[in-house]
Amino acid sequence: MRDSDVLDKNPHISRSALEAIHGQLFGWALSRCDYDKAAAEDLMQQAYIELLTGKARFEKRSSLKTFVFSVVQNLARSRYRRIASRLRLVQAAGAEVAGEAAHPVEPDENSMLWEAVQELPQRQRDIVELVFCRDMTIEAASSVMGVTTGTGRVHYERAKKALRNKLSKWGTT
Amino acid sequence: MKLSDEQLRAALQKTQADRESGTVPAFGTTWASAENRVRARRRRRGMVAGSAAVLALAFIVFRPAGDELHYINTSELLETTSWAAPSDSLMPEHQYDIYGEIPVLIESTETYGGALL
Repeated sequence: MRDSDVLDKNPHISRSALEAIHGQLFGWALSRCDYDKAAAEDLMQQAYIELLTGKARFEKRSSLKTFVFSVVQNLARSRYRRIASRLRLVQAAGAEVAGEAAHPVEPDENSMLWEAVQELPQRQRDIVELVFCRDMTIEAASSVMGVTTGTGRVHYERAKKALRNKLSKWGTT
Repeated sequence: MKLSDEQLRAALQKTQADRESGTVPAFGTTWASAENRVRARRRRRGMVAGSAAVLALAFIVFRPAGDELHYINTSELLETTSWAAPSDSLMPEHQYDIYGEIPVLIESTETYGGALL
């Protein structure tokens, strides 16, 4: 960590450390905003503002990645959930008029795995994404989601079971 | 055949990567936008605080004199030797002759007209 990199109001965070996880963080923000890129970019900027102003202060109680993912998760919960649901409604209405399917980002309709994941309940979907796609431990993922490790573990096991069932039903296993 | 955790991880990572490919904005751009928003927010707050201070100062300096509360009308007091208490709820209804009665009131330790002196 270079000294010049360190944030004034968050002395345990450096720009370079944030840059290293920027891609993964954006993926997480994207999935928080129903894959709406503009909303995800705004969410990322909001998260960085929280860090820059010291409103979200990193005290090294977890890894930086877990902390920053939690910041994004909390912001998405408090501010973007309603916006995202409104956006979905608007897009659905727009697509109905145009006679097209309503999806924020061009979906790959043939991706059975993607569909299977999307059909999971929210918390199962979140833990699958955090553990499998963002390389987090169940403990860290649970912390990001704001649940206990035990609860996280239950969601994780149920999600894996549901995914395997769906995939075997579709004959992909 | 069942998918192992590792196979599931690999498959999910690939699917997720396909979803996100080409969408990640440059860190520098996002960071610069965040910094600009922080600066703009500070500027806005400074302007609001400055405007509030200027308004408060202007109010104090240019406050119309008529708005001031006057309990004693000086000119009225100079034209007459009698004065009525401004609040009739606190004082008995009685007009005092400030030359004739007040010296008596000050010196007296007894009730006067039913009022405790």
